[in-house]
Amino acid sequence: MPLPETLPPPPDKTSDSAMSRRNFLRGSAAFAGLSALAASLSPLRELGDFSSSEEFMQKYYKEMTPADMKKALERISREVEHQYGIRPHVRDLRPMDGVEFVYALNLTRCIGCRKCVHACVAENNQSRNPEIQYIRVLKMPHGSLDMEKGDHNYTPESVPEPGFFYMPVQCQQCHNPPCVKVCPVNATWQESDGITVIDYDWCIGCRYCEAACPYWARRFNFTKPEIPKERLNPEMAYLGNRPRKQGVMEKCHFCIQRTRAGKYPACLEVCPVGARKFGNILDPESEISYILRTKRVFIQLKEEMGTNPRFFYYFDK
Amino acid sequence: METPPKSPALKPGARTLVVLGAVTVGFGALALLLSANLWGRLSPRAQIPPVDKTFLETTPWRRTYADLVKAKEDLSDYDCYGCHEKGKPPPLRFDDKGKLLVPDEHQNIVMGHGSHDRNNLCFNCHNEANLLTLQIRDGTIVRFDNIPPLCGSCHGPTYRDWEAGAHGRTSGYWNRSMGPIDRLSCASCHNPHAPRIPTRAPAPPPHSLRDIGHPKPAKSETTP
Repeated sequence: MPLPETLPPPPDKTSDSAMSRRNFLRGSAAFAGLSALAASLSPLRELGDFSSSEEFMQKYYKEMTPADMKKALERISREVEHQYGIRPHVRDLRPMDGVEFVYALNLTRCIGCRKCVHACVAENNQSRNPEIQYIRVLKMPHGSLDMEKGDHNYTPESVPEPGFFYMPVQCQQCHNPPCVKVCPVNATWQESDGITVIDYDWCIGCRYCEAACPYWARRFNFTKPEIPKERLNPEMAYLGNRPRKQGVMEKCHFCIQRTRAGKYPACLEVCPVGARKFGNILDPESEISYILRTKRVFIQLKEEMGTNPRFFYYFDK
Repeated sequence: METPPKSPALKPGARTLVVLGAVTVGFGALALLLSANLWGRLSPRAQIPPVDKTFLETTPWRRTYADLVKAKEDLSDYDCYGCHEKGKPPPLRFDDKGKLLVPDEHQNIVMGHGSHDRNNLCFNCHNEANLLTLQIRDGTIVRFDNIPPLCGSCHGPTYRDWEAGAHGRTSGYWNRSMGPIDRLSCASCHNPHAPRIPTRAPAPPPHSLRDIGHPKPAKSETTP
């Protein structure tokens, strides 16, 4: 058998003492691996000041001591100042005793001007591009409360249009909130004054709550929010309108930075026809108690869901 | 398989170096390209013009006599006896359909109170004996800066709701112990001569992702 003669000569290991084939492949593989790792981590660079170590180490809202909270508020102020050049006034406002907030909206009065939508955006530092809005105003044909017939993209010359009524929808601050139940990390919960809040530093952005909400009230920051500096509202609250970051949920919180300081929400103050009413339901003298007692309070939206909203729609006549 | 001898000028060791160098440069370029992230970058979003600040105004669209007094502004419009004669009630003229003829001096007044303008008699509200005041039909004199009782003399349920805080605009503090509440009165929103609130241009609708350059989905989803 002449086989030995036809075989190629054994590799000449002495010809390149600096690099064997094996070492060469090893080196290449290691280099390719490192390049791939660097490339796969490169999106992290876009996060920039996304997450400071301080924020990463921050405790859960309900476990924070006053000192922890002070530190967190200081950090938020610093970050806002760094990003927008404005020193904000950030507070952590707690619910008041003997207060439960209820909202009522007069469908007879609403003219669909959308001023509430934009006053809310201005007050609560929502992203302007892409737009995040907490309030949707549905234009509905008279004689029906079928939300399927609602249209929120109407652009007539002037409102109200004959034959239609307008129904603004925002977070209903349910007694039995489905969004809270589905949150896997307890980043959203219901406070004693009835406001369902979100800790933006605890939210992991899974969007389960968005899916669970029957009112389409929750909004997700798909990108870094864009707010023009000159339109930033510096009066902020930790659970309220402090600037959010990419990848967290947000929603209407009854202007917590205003209402827990005793003021009316921004959407109420801007309403040109006084269709929006807000107050403490536990105070029998409040206008909200008067409305629920005497007015034709027609619906809690999607009553059949059993969410029991704190947001009521009513009619005058 | 026998590799044909290439570039005999290069020694085998040098050949390895050249190949190694080329591979290194190749990988380096690849790493640069990947970290520059040329493919995954989003196309820039279209601009959304900031909303007109008039839509954020909380001031009412009308100014009342009380506002003018407070702002110390020109009140000559309310100086009735600059033109009218005291003690002589101005005559009212109607066309053959019973519609009030607004005199030329008052052309800025557009009448439209009540369905079919039925409340078109000036002295239903104005005091004919003293034009500087208003008058309820029961004889009560009402000053220009405090008109709700006059309006309420006909619009009882609305007056009741307004007093309870359920009708009309409010601002300030819901919690009275923390600050004052600001309640607007009738004429801040309603023109007494034509009380129906005029229609207005709505603020812009939400911009969808497609408006700012998000590509269309291949198939339309649930909405038609």
